[in-house]
Amino acid sequence: MANHSQLTFQDASSPVMEELMGFHDHALMVALSICSLVLYLLTLMLTEKLTSNTVNAQAIELVWTILPAMVLIMLALPSLRILYMMDEINEPDLTLKAIGHQWYWSYEYTDLKDLTFDSYMIPTTDLPLGHFRLLEVDHRVVVPMSSSIRVIVTADDVLHSWAVPSLGVKTDAIPGRLNQTSFLASRPGVFYGQCSEICGANHSFMPIVVESTPLANFESWSTLMSSQ
Amino acid sequence: QSFKLLGFLDVKNVPCARESVLYGSLGALVMGLGHFLATSRVRRSCDVAVGSYICTMLGYWFYCRYNLAQQRIRQRMLKEGMKNRILFEGSYLDPEKKQTGNERSDS
Repeated sequence: MANHSQLTFQDASSPVMEELMGFHDHALMVALSICSLVLYLLTLMLTEKLTSNTVNAQAIELVWTILPAMVLIMLALPSLRILYMMDEINEPDLTLKAIGHQWYWSYEYTDLKDLTFDSYMIPTTDLPLGHFRLLEVDHRVVVPMSSSIRVIVTADDVLHSWAVPSLGVKTDAIPGRLNQTSFLASRPGVFYGQCSEICGANHSFMPIVVESTPLANFESWSTLMSSQ
Repeated sequence: QSFKLLGFLDVKNVPCARESVLYGSLGALVMGLGHFLATSRVRRSCDVAVGSYICTMLGYWFYCRYNLAQQRIRQRMLKEGMKNRILFEGSYLDPEKKQTGNERSDS
């Protein structure tokens, strides 16, 4: 989860998020270069006279066409690489459905003998000491670690969005439509997210919690949940 | 703690950022000063310095990030190799066992 007043990304827990953070650093470095140039030009203008006798500006025109084109190429190539990487078709080890409702999520593990459950936020009044306010849920989404997970996201009523920042996942939940995303949790842990599409009064109170565990623990959990 | 250059680039926590900015500044100083000493033109030397700053910073950034990416790939391969070694050691899938078996059959 994010710390208070955190503006940067949460630690990456999937390969895609690691790539996205790397690209973000790259884009910021390009932005720093451009801002430095612009700042310098602004300071130069403080000492420039306001009239100009320039009639032929072929050189400067060439420069300010070629340079932005190079900047765009520097940004576009890594960006497209990651875009195609995110869309790679792989054989998922597990498929789960996430259905958005007002104002909770329900999950279906149909690979595992119809395991379905609802995931409601734990109200602050019922929150045990040391747990995270407005982020904890009664039933977490448990997935095996280092396994490709396919998530099919939809909604029952209005628009929602299933988002987990540290896994690099955000997918809109649209009524009447199935959107697919996939992720791979590189390490065991608990990853928090929140609904990312305005959906009514309690839009801020329908969090998502993904718990990534070793396969043996996942099997125990699924057996336990199926029997309940 | 983080120090953000121009308010957005976290030079402490982003790999290669600090070195890029420092090498860029060094390159700017050297080129700008060198140009001034050679031509005594202040304005043009400042232009050269800023241009060198940007080129050196971006140049080192690409070089450093490329090496970092290669290192990460090697780390991942090593981690995978160690995991497979532990998993398959002693079993029929152990590649070392296959190799020693081949050596024995050759001799």
